[in-house]
Amino acid sequence: MSTSRTAAPEPEIDPRLLEVLVCPVTHGPLTYDRAARELVSVQAGLAYPVRDGVPLLLPEEARRLDG
Amino acid sequence: MAAPPRLFDRTLHRRRLDRAARAFGAADFLKVRAAADLVERLEAIMRNFPVAVDLGARTGVFSRLLAQSDAAAKVGLLIETDLSARMLAARPGARLQADEERLPFASASLDLVVSSLALHWANDLPGAMIQIRRALKPDGLFLGAILGGDSFTELRQSLMAAEAELTNGAGLRVAPLAEAYDAAGLLQRAGFALPVADVDRVVVRYAHPLRLIADLRAMGETAAMLEPARPLSRAVIARACQIYQDRFSGPDGKVSATFDILTLTGWAPHESQQKPLPRGSGTVRLEDALQAVKRERES
Repeated sequence: MSTSRTAAPEPEIDPRLLEVLVCPVTHGPLTYDRAARELVSVQAGLAYPVRDGVPLLLPEEARRLDG
Repeated sequence: MAAPPRLFDRTLHRRRLDRAARAFGAADFLKVRAAADLVERLEAIMRNFPVAVDLGARTGVFSRLLAQSDAAAKVGLLIETDLSARMLAARPGARLQADEERLPFASASLDLVVSSLALHWANDLPGAMIQIRRALKPDGLFLGAILGGDSFTELRQSLMAAEAELTNGAGLRVAPLAEAYDAAGLLQRAGFALPVADVDRVVVRYAHPLRLIADLRAMGETAAMLEPARPLSRAVIARACQIYQDRFSGPDGKVSATFDILTLTGWAPHESQQKPLPRGSGTVRLEDALQAVKRERES
């Protein structure tokens, strides 16, 4: 999957939305990786994709973090 | 603690919603009715809600109705969630794809959670309500409408009768639903204060039972059971339609379909709320109070 930074600008996520979101598995914090368009839950070892500015917070759709 | 039995296949439900997204507007009359009712209730509450969430927003019916209402100014940020990405596509606003059974909201972060006609598909409705209550700030409001009571009773009865007649026994074809009295208890057990549940019965008239089934499909409301029974044969469907028409049609030949919309209201507990006094804290004996009433009546 490409995470090219020259593609059409990703719609911004409302910062007030990011403020209330947590990982649905651990209820731990999520960090927004703007370049990769992912919300990362270190505790769960999962990276949730953000598509067209819409976070997809379903564990079965998340990418497993290695290591 | 034993996990509640899982009845619904959430992945299948998600696919049903994805499939329904494009033509959802054609059969969203129930969603519109339920959402309009929630908006009306919000209009009557003199309170601002800086951060609100609509769980199972589908194509944004609640958001559109809210924007046109007197309650619009009371809601700051409205976050829309749905299990289906297609339902959320092609519109602006704060949206996120999430499962009502695994909420991704921080504790005590929301002022309002609304949900119209989505939570009846939760495998663990009490669990979902506990998650909602935890996500609410103290004195935050939950306003949820679910299909319950006698919804689809005509369809359920017709399908069961047809299957029993033509096959060896009947399977579960229509999802089990909550009753109003269950719902108020659920709110209370989920830790909500001032719980209220009420029912709005909608009876829709259809030219043919198949039109009802088409509508349910368009709403993404066809049953998504975890253990699907054998597919219904044409013969069973035809017989069920006959039974439906025999038992539930009016003089004009149209059949009726009942939908019971249960609306649940509860507040996350806060010390400012009215509550019963602790047991044993009374200073007047009941007997004295009753005597006083009696004396008043007699005088």
